[in-house]
Amino acid sequence: MNTTEEFYDLIATAIAVKKEVITEDLTYQGIPEWDSMSHLLIVEALEQYYQVKFDFNDIMEMGTVGKIREKMKKYEVFVEN
Amino acid sequence: MKILENIIANTSLLFTEASSGRTIPVGKLYRSLGLNPVEKGLLFLYNDNLLHSIETLLNFYGTAHTIALLGQKLHPDFKNRLEGEYRPKYIFDPQRHDIEGYTLKEFSDTVKIFIKDDYRHETKINPEIKILLSTSGTTGTPKLVKLSDEGLYQNALSILEYMPILESDVVPLNVPINFVYGFSILTTNCMRAGRIVCSDKDIMQKEFWEDMDHYGYSTLGGVPYLYENLNRIGFFRKDSSSLRYLTHTGGTINNELRKIILSYCKEYNKEFFAQYGQTEAGGRMAYLSTQELLNEETSIGVPVKGGNFTIDEETEELIFSHSSIFGGYAGTLEDLADYDQKPVLRTGDTARKDQDGIYYITGRIKRIIKLFGIRLNLDEVEFILKNELQGSTFACLNDRDKKIVVMYDHKETDPQAIKDTIKNKLHIHPQYVQTEYIESFPLSQNGKINYPLLQNLQHENP
Repeated sequence: MNTTEEFYDLIATAIAVKKEVITEDLTYQGIPEWDSMSHLLIVEALEQYYQVKFDFNDIMEMGTVGKIREKMKKYEVFVEN
Repeated sequence: MKILENIIANTSLLFTEASSGRTIPVGKLYRSLGLNPVEKGLLFLYNDNLLHSIETLLNFYGTAHTIALLGQKLHPDFKNRLEGEYRPKYIFDPQRHDIEGYTLKEFSDTVKIFIKDDYRHETKINPEIKILLSTSGTTGTPKLVKLSDEGLYQNALSILEYMPILESDVVPLNVPINFVYGFSILTTNCMRAGRIVCSDKDIMQKEFWEDMDHYGYSTLGGVPYLYENLNRIGFFRKDSSSLRYLTHTGGTINNELRKIILSYCKEYNKEFFAQYGQTEAGGRMAYLSTQELLNEETSIGVPVKGGNFTIDEETEELIFSHSSIFGGYAGTLEDLADYDQKPVLRTGDTARKDQDGIYYITGRIKRIIKLFGIRLNLDEVEFILKNELQGSTFACLNDRDKKIVVMYDHKETDPQAIKDTIKNKLHIHPQYVQTEYIESFPLSQNGKINYPLLQNLQHENP
């Protein structure tokens, strides 16, 4: 089972913020660190770690941490709550 | 006010808010606030590229006011410092609900502006100064570039000579208009195109692409990072039927990406305009059309019409002349009393010109490292790495004239290949090259790598 902790870790590292900043409701462009450039770093980090490949629509619909979690279910990556 | 007159003369022009579809014709928008045309003073406009920002800009442009066009996402401390120094009569900032010493007044259903409570006419602002744009980032000393309506208009005319704008065009404001490049996109298209779509969405958001489909965007603009990101999300693999041309500025695009863009343009019949400009130039200085992208080396092309380049024989610095050049910097309110337009602009870039009159940037004057008495331009090192080792962006720093620090943002880049390239091309022993992977580069407000910040990070972790 994938843990929320490692999921948050990956995102925090990708956008270079402390892990405490990451919440389910954290929104793209909601903090300066999560911008169009770091967004792709999140995508790459998740792709590498969970061995998935996101398509164009997936990337566009990852507007919050919660939505990213949902999006990964499509690829059968389930992160425990 | 030449810019505004020419915008109003484009009588069929429409402004649309992307999110709501709310549309206002130019004839109504530019005077929607009922301002007094002879009223003078300073407006701080914190722009978000939405319709209310454009509405405020056009309304105040038609008066005797000077407009400081700033980014809405500026750090609050930076805003405070600027406001403390310039004590503007008006502040437009939808992000704030109150500002000490100011009262918020409703000018229209959509526009609210802060008015200074104890406003006194302090310094006479030179009437030539129409627009002030910021050059520095979110930290550091606020420095504003003084620009005149005449200069901005002359530069817009130069751009209109090559930009294929049609009166049927639908133009998204996807570059902030508080950057001179975004400002030029706004003014030139307001003068010629059919519809301006105001939006704060970007290419990583689904809404942006839905709006593009819905409104039928004719053009997109951006700095190299935008094109790198477009490439990563697969934009160049399919056609966007409404799109006719793309524009770029803010640094050269690496070889690999240049080829991808070129084949995209060929396959889907698009045009691409690479441009070279500076805030101090009042807009664009040079441009390169799609066909010229074919050249093996990336050049900045030829000067815009009305502009001229010379190269300083001693320093190789590129010097630009145009009637659009700025009228000096302002660091204090008192600096707004004069407007001193210089005949030439020293770009700070070094360049060379080939037999066909095409210009190439070879580096930047100040980023020099002296290794064992040998002068080496760090930008040239970056250019070489960028072209030799594709896939990564490189930033070179000077470590006390002892080492070149090469930072790269692509995990797969082999540090040994960096050292080998520098050794082969510049004959520098790998021992004097230090490589460091960085997840992402800190950027300054204009989207370029923030070298001072990078240098500071370097000092903190030696």
